[in-house]
Parts: sequence; C-alpha cells; structure tokens
Amino acid sequence: MNALALARRPLVYVLLSVAAFVSVFPFYWMVVGATNKSADIVTGKPSLGDSLFANAATFFATVDVARIFWNSALIAVVGSLLTLAVSSLAGYGFEMFRSRFRERLFALMLLLLSIPFAALMVPLFVMISQAHLTNTYAAVILPGIASIFIIFYFRQATKAFPAELRDAARVDGLKEWQIFLYIYLPVMRSTYAAATIIVFMANWNNYLWPLIVLNTADMKTATLIISALTSAYTPDYGMILFGTVLATLPTLIIFFLLQRQFVEGLLGSVK
Amino acid sequence: MSGLKLRGIRKSFGAVEVLRGIDLDIEDKEFVVFVGPSGCGKSTLLRLIAGLETISGGELDIGDKRMNDVDPSRRGIAMVFQSYALYPHMTVRENMGFALRFAGVAKAEIDRQVTEAARILELEPLLNRRPKELSGGQRQRVAIGRAIVRHPQVFLFDEPLSNLDAELRVHMRIEIARLHKELATTIIYVTHDQVEAMTLADKIVVLRDGAIAQVGSPLKLYDDPDNLFVAGFIGSPKMNFLKGIVDGSVVRLPDHGNQTIPLVAKAAHGSEVTVGLRPEYFKAGGASQLDVTVEMVEHLGSESYAYARHGAGDVLTIATQNDRELKGGDKLSARFDPAKALLFDPAGQRIR
Ligand SMILES: Nc1ncnc2c1ncn2[C@@H]1O[C@H](COP(=O)(O)OP(=O)(O)OP(=O)(O)O)[C@@H](O)[C@H]1O
Ligand SMILES: [Mg+2]
Repeated sequence: MNALALARRPLVYVLLSVAAFVSVFPFYWMVVGATNKSADIVTGKPSLGDSLFANAATFFATVDVARIFWNSALIAVVGSLLTLAVSSLAGYGFEMFRSRFRERLFALMLLLLSIPFAALMVPLFVMISQAHLTNTYAAVILPGIASIFIIFYFRQATKAFPAELRDAARVDGLKEWQIFLYIYLPVMRSTYAAATIIVFMANWNNYLWPLIVLNTADMKTATLIISALTSAYTPDYGMILFGTVLATLPTLIIFFLLQRQFVEGLLGSVK
Repeated sequence: MSGLKLRGIRKSFGAVEVLRGIDLDIEDKEFVVFVGPSGCGKSTLLRLIAGLETISGGELDIGDKRMNDVDPSRRGIAMVFQSYALYPHMTVRENMGFALRFAGVAKAEIDRQVTEAARILELEPLLNRRPKELSGGQRQRVAIGRAIVRHPQVFLFDEPLSNLDAELRVHMRIEIARLHKELATTIIYVTHDQVEAMTLADKIVVLRDGAIAQVGSPLKLYDDPDNLFVAGFIGSPKMNFLKGIVDGSVVRLPDHGNQTIPLVAKAAHGSEVTVGLRPEYFKAGGASQLDVTVEMVEHLGSESYAYARHGAGDVLTIATQNDRELKGGDKLSARFDPAKALLFDPAGQRIR
C-alpha cells in the first residue's frame, strides 16, 4: 500500500462520519427535543430532558390529533394504493405491449418529469376547483395517481419479468387482467414493496399541494397542522418536536415492515 | 381427431416476413420435430400454432377446426417453454393445477389430475415445493406435468431440453419418448439438437429462412435429402460436398486430382454438380476410390474420423472403423460405393 492510499483511508472515514452525522443528527435532535422544554431547546441543550409527558399533553390539548392523523392516514393509504395500481399497470403495459408509438410516448412522458411541480400547481388548482373538488381528499390524492417516476420504475422492473410467464398464463386460459393480478403482482412483490415505501412517504409528507387545496382545519393533514404550529408568536418547540416524532412513526413502521423486500426490490425482484 | 393442417401460413413482424408460406400436414398422434438454423422461424411457427402470435396469412386447422383466431386456451394445446415458465410464487401442485382452476374444474378433480400427472412423472415427493427449490430436470418435469394435466390434443415443446446438462438431456429425451407412447397425443417439438430430432421424430420438418426445406421421416431426410441444405444440415459429422463436372458417363472431381466416379443420375455433359458423400459411405470394398493424404485423425473409440484431402482440395471427413494406427501424414485410398453418392445441381436441388 502506498502513502497516498494510506492517507486516503482516514480521510474516507472522516468524510463518512460527517455524512453520517449530517443525516442522523436531525433525528437525534428531534427525539431529544421532544423530551425538553422549549426554553432548553432554544439554548441548544443536547441531552434528554424530563418534559416528554408535558409536551405530549400540550400537543394533545392544542391539536385534534385523531382528526389530523386520520386525514393523513386516509390520504396516504388511499393515495398510495391508487398510485401503485395505476402506475404499475402503466409501467407493465409500456413494457409488455408492443405499439408503434410506445417509445415516443414514453420519452414524452419522461420529458414531463422535468416540469417542476410549481409550474403545474396553478393549472391543477384551476382544474380541481372547476371540478368542485377543493377541500376534499380527492383533491389531494388525484393529481399524484399517475406518477411518472413510479411508471418508469415499474417499466424498468418489468424488463426482468419473464415474457414466457405471460405466455404460459395465456395458454393456461388467463385473461390479460388476470395475468396482471394473479401472476405479475405476486411475482413482482418486492418491486411493489419498494414502490410502496416511496409512494407512502411522498403522500404522507406531501406539504405544498395539500396546503393549497385543503382549507378547513378538519380536513388538514398532520404535516400541515404541525408545521403551522411553528408560526405561533412564541412557538412551543418541545410540543412541536413531539408532534414531529409522532408524525414520523408511520413511515418508519412501513419502512421496517417492508425493509427486506425494499432492498430486494431495488436489486431486481425476479431471479 | 387431433391432426393439424397448415395452409400457406405467413407471419410478418412489421415489414419483416419471418414465415413465408408454410404448408404442412401433421397426423393425429404424430411426433413432429421442427429443426433449422437459429432465426429460421421455428419458435415463431410454434407460437402461431399455440395462438401466442397472430397469424398474418394462411389457414391453421387443429382437429378439423379452423383455429386462426381462437384463444390459446381453447385450441386444445399445451406448451412447454424453454425457460420452463413455472409460476415462481406457487408450489408444484398449484403450478400444475392452475389451468384447471381457471377452467372452473372442481377441486377434487384437480387434485386427482395433479396426482395422476405427478405419478406419471415421479413428482409426488416434490408437490409442495416451490420452483426455486427444484433442480433443472425437476423443473422440466413440472413444466411437462403442467401440460399433461390439461389433457391437450397437441403438446408443443420449444427447445425443452436446452437448459439441461448433457446427461440429463439424454435422460429427459428418453422420458419424452416414453411419454409420447403413454399419452398417445400429437407432439410438435422444436430443437436444434440433431440427436433429439433423429431419435424422437416420426417426421422432421426442416425449416430454412421461414420456409420448409423438406419434410420426412428422419431416415428419409438422412438417406434421401431433396437439397444441399437438408443434406448438410442433417447428419453429424456433416456430409462431404465435392465439386464435380459431368464428363460423359463420369463425374470428374477437379479439386481431387481429376479423379472420376461413375455418373449415377441424369445430368448434361459439362454441367457443374455437387457430389455428396457421407463420411460413413467410405468403406473397404467400394467400387470407386479417392486417393488422399490424412491431415488429422479423431479417435472416438468405437470409430475414428480422418480429415484428409487430395493436394490443395477441400478437406474430406472419412469414417474409418478399425484404423487405430491411422495418423496425420498417412496416405489413404478411401474406397466407396459410387451408387451411394448424391448429386446436386448448381441451385442446390437434388439430381435423381
Ligand atoms: N416479437 C418479434 N418481433 C420482431 N421480430 C421477431 C419477433 N420474434 C421473432 N422475430 C424474428 O423472427 C425470426 C425468427 O425467430 P424465431 O424465434 O422463430 O427463430 P428460431 O428458429 O426459433 O431461432 P432459435 O433457434 O434461435 O430459437 C428472427 O429473425 C427473429 O428476429
Ligand atoms: Mg426459438
């Protein structure tokens, strides 16, 4: 091993440590903050405190917790299921069925990926309000269902799905929709697991769009309500961080439940 | 009745015509093998029969019923794929019973059928395993079992043994021959393995560039090929082709020192022909002979192949029975019976 390589090794560790710190620290800060008084958090106290239950109590007193988590859960679950259903069908279709326009259509779709959401927001809002859907769950869910990224992801994953399986199923008497449901879906379950995590997180954490289309407190999601707490005259950071911890749990749970398949899904599901 | 009738079958993918008019009759209970070089359209023809691709032109009858536009599951066929195409998320039992489940067959009946097929294929101990817990040969048997359970009139096999190692291939080949006897159904089998074709087939269909080069029994194709392509394709080692010029009642071989052999078929004086001689046509006691120099010898134990040529002429393959001492550099007078030589015209058609 030469001198350069020797010198490089500690450098790598330092860089990795910095990266680890940067990604882990916010979590640490959030969890520690949830146990401290707002005054201590502002002064930067880095250790666990004794105010967890006080923060919890304030949070439950300030916010209709059941309501906002119900709103979030409904939007995230229904939104994820619909997105997975529609986008995986599209990705499957793009890969499985030959058509003269397939590649051009797909390229066009990928091009759309480069349009920032901010540019689509206004026309989308006009559409939603003309459909009289403002301040409904549907208004939040519908625009995300055909996710270009998920369609792309499923098309790529479908390349590994053996075409002969579809042929075998056709000979066995299955209709196209039955092939999708009884063969493709179970065979691709790790792809679905990975996509579920991505889609669920996106839906659960979605901020900008719900902020625009939801306007009464009884419809708003946990993400909206908790972030609104910071705009109080003297924000109670202990309480806010407690709420943040609570709002992070569902994504964590989903992630740990699907973790194994998630990794498989990213590596390619069919062997 | 479950014979097949193909009339002028054509298939194009876009502008490319892959099958250019296939006429073929397949008898009930016949074992038919499609062979041909890679890309000649064997799989495509099989998939047209299965209904997995649409037919661009022509007519397909299975058991006297026109099947051009019938759904694959209603053609009375079952297919065994090269990659086996077992459903990975189902057990062997579920894989085999799947088609029946979708046909609405009662559960007890499915069980009975699956058990019966498992018995024929000796799969009973594996019924509750998943495909990934099986060896290649076992997967192959499950794939065949899945086909058997449907009681098809016609079995379609697309290179079913090409993913197996040599020993298992021989074993499964015998197994498939046994199954054909036991099930008494029509089988159409695609392969590019000569030995599989020769040993399994009642009838071989040689395809070339999307058209039929010749149809016939294995020995008919071997002994009496219609054209150069079939003569060269069937048989291993390959038939020797020698350039010849008709000279009255003999054929002169310009690349072999102008040695001559008697003309055995009708051909005009001075015309160019190709003379076909299989390696094993060379035998002691034949009326004609070629003087050659041995370049190399392959001893296979039961027989030996000498690769030899005259001067700068083409290399000939000569089968010799007992010449264990034969080696490179030796002179050889290879004798053969000129009546066995096959003659082909410049277009590659057989002159009889
Ligand atoms: N879906 C398709 N789209 C376009 N061309 C195709 C398609 N399927 C097959 N072909 C073409 O048709 C021709 C015949 O293919 P086919 O698979 O029938 O050959 P094959 O005889 O089975 O060859 P092999 O021995 O390699 O399996 C090939 O030139 C192939 O490229
Ligand atoms: Mg093929």
